[in-house]
Amino acid sequence: MAAPRVAPRLLFLFTEVCANGGIQRFNQTILDSCGRLGIQCQVLSLNDSPASIAKTLTPDNSSIVGFSGDRRRFAIAVAGALLRGRYDRVFIGHINFLLLTIGILALQPFNRAPTMLVAHGIEVWSGIGRARSYALSRVTGILCVSNYTRRRILEQAPALIADRLIRFPNALADTWGHVVAAPSTPSLAAHFILSVTRLDRGDRYKGIATVIEAFSMLADDSMHYLVVGHGNDLSFLQLVAERYGVKDRVHFMSGVSDSELIALYQQCQAFVLPSGKEGFGIVFLEAMFFGAPVIAAREKGAVDVVRDGDTGLSVRFGDTIAIKEAIERIVSDTRLREHVCANGRALVTEGGPFTFAGFTRRCAQTFEVGETIVA
Amino acid sequence: MCGILGLLTTTGAQPPFETFLAALDRLKLRGPDDSGTWREDGLLLGHRRLSIVDLSPTGHQPMESSDRRFVIVFNGEIYNHAELRPCLSPQNGWRSTSDTETLIEAYRAWGVGCLERINGMFAFAIWDRMERTLFVARDRIGVKPLYYSNGNGQFGFASRPGALNMLLGGGLIIDPEALRVYLEIGYIPAPLSFHRDMRKLPAGHYLIVSARGVRRVRYWDFRAIKPDPSMNSRPEGELVEELDALIYSAVKARLMSDVPLGAFLSGGVDSALVVAAMKSAGVEHPKTFTIAFKEKGFDEGPAAARAAEHLGVDHVHETLDVNSLLDLLPTYIQEYDEPFADSSAFPTMAVTRLARRHVKVALSGDGADEFFGGYHYYPLMDRLAPLLAWRTGSKGAARQLLKSLPWHRTKLLAGALQSQNTVALFHFLRSVGKDYPTLLNRDILQSTANSETWFDQFATSFPMDLSAAETAMRLDAGLTLPDLFLQKVDVSTMAFSLEARCPMTDYRLVEWAMRLPMQFKVRNGETKYLLKKVLSRYLPADCVYRPKMGFAVPLAKWLRGPLRHWAEELIHDDTLMSRLPLDKARVREVLRQHSDGDRESHPLLWSVLMLLCFVQTHGARRALPVMAYREVA
Repeated sequence: MAAPRVAPRLLFLFTEVCANGGIQRFNQTILDSCGRLGIQCQVLSLNDSPASIAKTLTPDNSSIVGFSGDRRRFAIAVAGALLRGRYDRVFIGHINFLLLTIGILALQPFNRAPTMLVAHGIEVWSGIGRARSYALSRVTGILCVSNYTRRRILEQAPALIADRLIRFPNALADTWGHVVAAPSTPSLAAHFILSVTRLDRGDRYKGIATVIEAFSMLADDSMHYLVVGHGNDLSFLQLVAERYGVKDRVHFMSGVSDSELIALYQQCQAFVLPSGKEGFGIVFLEAMFFGAPVIAAREKGAVDVVRDGDTGLSVRFGDTIAIKEAIERIVSDTRLREHVCANGRALVTEGGPFTFAGFTRRCAQTFEVGETIVA
Repeated sequence: MCGILGLLTTTGAQPPFETFLAALDRLKLRGPDDSGTWREDGLLLGHRRLSIVDLSPTGHQPMESSDRRFVIVFNGEIYNHAELRPCLSPQNGWRSTSDTETLIEAYRAWGVGCLERINGMFAFAIWDRMERTLFVARDRIGVKPLYYSNGNGQFGFASRPGALNMLLGGGLIIDPEALRVYLEIGYIPAPLSFHRDMRKLPAGHYLIVSARGVRRVRYWDFRAIKPDPSMNSRPEGELVEELDALIYSAVKARLMSDVPLGAFLSGGVDSALVVAAMKSAGVEHPKTFTIAFKEKGFDEGPAAARAAEHLGVDHVHETLDVNSLLDLLPTYIQEYDEPFADSSAFPTMAVTRLARRHVKVALSGDGADEFFGGYHYYPLMDRLAPLLAWRTGSKGAARQLLKSLPWHRTKLLAGALQSQNTVALFHFLRSVGKDYPTLLNRDILQSTANSETWFDQFATSFPMDLSAAETAMRLDAGLTLPDLFLQKVDVSTMAFSLEARCPMTDYRLVEWAMRLPMQFKVRNGETKYLLKKVLSRYLPADCVYRPKMGFAVPLAKWLRGPLRHWAEELIHDDTLMSRLPLDKARVREVLRQHSDGDRESHPLLWSVLMLLCFVQTHGARRALPVMAYREVA
């Protein structure tokens, strides 16, 4: 008879958990999965504050300590945790913590826990350098959220053993299945396309200005464009909308609740985010799950999710003419729309590659937890 | 080259036909050979013709389509029109050999899709009598200009803003954002226009005007084309061959003409390449034209003569005293009916005047610098870009140090270090009036956006991870080229009724250039690397690898010498100055500092002077020049 299984203990080093964003969503999903698997999680999160942690629902077997951006305190806490060595696995949530972690672990030659790194997007696509390449060779596994990320790491650090780079895509969070759409969308026109993204100056690669230009060229002047998100580039985007003569039909919304967001996904004519640097694009999965046809750029991590004419439409980044034509196609061609919506939804529903259950199974394999534990 | 004009009235009264004719007359120099008008319910179309292809009356415009549903007015040339003809079937056959007829039949057959098939320089309008819609388009690169105005139940368009302004009743309401941007960078990028109620149709766009309103659509865009890394591994000789073939094809297409044709030939790479391709295309002794100057620092005459000798062309040159260019000042002021601050318009007009005595069409090398990396600041951008990534503290310290040094260049470098990104750095390097804000009324500064926001907006479509130099080149290609350099070529040649053609702006060449990786454009500080390799096939190395000179004029000296009195009169004219939201005292101080030799402010001063001339010209013709400010949220 098999001995009773002891739940493993994992140490997670995260940049942030309790916020919106691709990396944060990934971190939340992995903690939720660990919760299902009965894994004890100790999380050290650099940017979370005690207040934000208190507001966030986390699994019972997770304990999160936030450092409110205080790097020194964070580093001391990481060193303490690693040197005490009470964990079965160390999970590095961002490449910026790699050198710190490997450096500290070097001080502890015995009982060193296997270490895994998650590689998301932009931060690993260039500039890995010698020191990081060496540090990468010291980790047990590198979880890559997209094929593109995996390829870029191998291009920069060809000495790495390719088998250690595991494709580990993000998945739709389990919680989305339980949220109910708001009864009516917040003060909307009947006919609109939608983007959901950060709007910071550094995030212009998301392509919102290009969507505004494409939108201004549409023949249908009853169409509106809703951009959900906030950031310091809002005034520039408003200026762009004004210059294209569509400021009355481009609406920037922030503080949208999850239930309102679901209603927006469900009612939009198309979800458009032709981003040039999406590490994975969790937001595409959300849109697909709620039945929105997706238009993305044929770039980086997004190609794993949005396949042109199959699970959505994809365009060249920055190509405003192609974006306009894609919107026109998806709006006017009912058959195409139904086809991509059905295939898109199949990615995130039972049996699809980006479901929460699938993600949890990948966690179980990666953390060597028996699948029987998976709920 | 021609001039077009039109007015579609949906509500309200049309202006008297005499006003329309007077406005059309303002385009006379663009088309001195013929003129025509078209009137029907609510619509007026006008055309001034410079006859180049099919000189017979069958090429007269406005022209109807074979089924009489469409009417066209067209400015430009469709170089591939003969290739398109076999694909088209006009009712009752072709009536002429004119590219205008091909174009209108192409629209009849393919609608908006005709734009994808035509290769040329153009601005045209087609009236659909059945649908009562107007289709207005401008060529991909922006070689031919088109201005339009929409409001009060009227949609008007014209080749030049002066004609359109006259058609719409005159008056001068300055667009404050255009004014600001103009003072900053010396030109006005589309869609801005100096007139508040007028817009410039950007290159590669069309308009659909109907009872529902006006919709502006982009139909061609080079911005998103990615450099192709696979070209890096191809043998250089193969790329040279390919580029040579593309230039040949672009030039050959532009030899279509029923009138004498020649080329401008400076001592530079681009015009020499064009002339070499003309020879290859079978023009045995192309006529080439150069203006030489007695003053050595400005004289490209000997270099042009050497290139001409090697190429075996029929070379015509005129040697001028550089100060004699000032004879062209009245033409400059008269013909640039939107403020324009590039003083290289003088030599461009001079060489046009020379060429027009011999030919009616001239090919020029414009466009090569922007697409193939010709400007000195491209390598500089790449050298400066790494500094932008420095930490704020380090940058600040470096700036303080550089500012404290006594040299102009170190002060400039300190200014460049203030840039947050490559677009901002380009903006800094490209701006002509770095201290323009001190001249402008504070209200305007607060209520308008600066030119950097236009650069930013244009760059949002660029591929990820472009180098700083590549970013600068694309900004130049999309904004500086059409609205500064091609505008200069168009207006300067128009002033002498000469048609200029620019093979380096052929869209096939441009798309290829966008795919070409940077190392073939700028390498180790060498600009136009691959173009020079192509030219080396035709000219010896000493003709190819020589410092770029450009069309410079001694503006700083002029403003201290022959133009000083004129400048002082303008700037001290209180009535004139009061029409502009400028700080009079500050402008006068800038002039004094420049005149006394305390500082070099000629680019900014020239911008202000051209602005004053523009307002003065308008003031003389119109009763009530008014200033108004547009609210910008």
